[in-house]
Amino acid sequence: MKRRVWRFVLFALAILVGFAAGLGYGWAINPVRYTAASPDSLRMDYQTDFVLMTAELYQADGDLALALARLGFLGNTPPITLIDQAITYAETHLYAASDLKVMRDLAADIQQALDGAQ
Amino acid sequence: MLDNTQEIRPIPTASQPAQKKSPWYLLTGLILGLILGLVYAWVINPVIYETSSPANLGDPDKDFYRSTIAQVYAATGNLERASIRLSVLEDPDPVYALGGQAQRVLAAGHEAEARALALLASGLQSSQPQPELPAETSSPTHTSAPLGLPTHTLPIPTTNP
Repeated sequence: MKRRVWRFVLFALAILVGFAAGLGYGWAINPVRYTAASPDSLRMDYQTDFVLMTAELYQADGDLALALARLGFLGNTPPITLIDQAITYAETHLYAASDLKVMRDLAADIQQALDGAQ
Repeated sequence: MLDNTQEIRPIPTASQPAQKKSPWYLLTGLILGLILGLVYAWVINPVIYETSSPANLGDPDKDFYRSTIAQVYAATGNLERASIRLSVLEDPDPVYALGGQAQRVLAAGHEAEARALALLASGLQSSQPQPELPAETSSPTHTSAPLGLPTHTLPIPTTNP
């Protein structure tokens, strides 16, 4: 009887060890890789660069509606919030003054359009 | 003739049944646990990255990102920055990817976008170093200026977290 209990304990321990090994492999060594991430999950530096690209294009074409549509690529966050976050990141990471200016210009124009709409 | 040989069998003792039991049940438990662990780690509760890079985007989003880079290049002419931006998409052959997308976009009737993509593809191709000619036929070779280091205004692409 005692032997059976001991075998059961060892069996349970083996399952636990296997489970831990499976977790380690599945979480750390070879985790699931998503090949189709959504743009709103982009890291902040990439999001900031996309906002900068949008601002550069807006500087060239002056099309605010198109700029807003482009910012929609980054998800459902309001465009003005996206730009503010991007400007804050850019200021923190010492982006060039010219890059900051184009983003601030876009932010100002969007804010002006929002104020006008209200 | 009688055969006097006899098969000698060991006398079973009390400890022998335990010795005969092989530890296969331990291996079974280990494999069972491993399978359960993998199912939990890959299916039930997989690692979810809250941040990703453009290389992880789906194909339509990658195309949009690539197209935006090309349009910015067409507007600013900054090839170095466009090249760095394209590198985060981790295309095996960026020129080929741009060319293929330009053809698709052109077929869809978006000429301006196709032109921007083709322009960037052309700019990248012309910036690539030319293969050296054999010594006897070599003439004053023109090597394109190497791309400068990324400025601090653009995030340095890093690997996927």
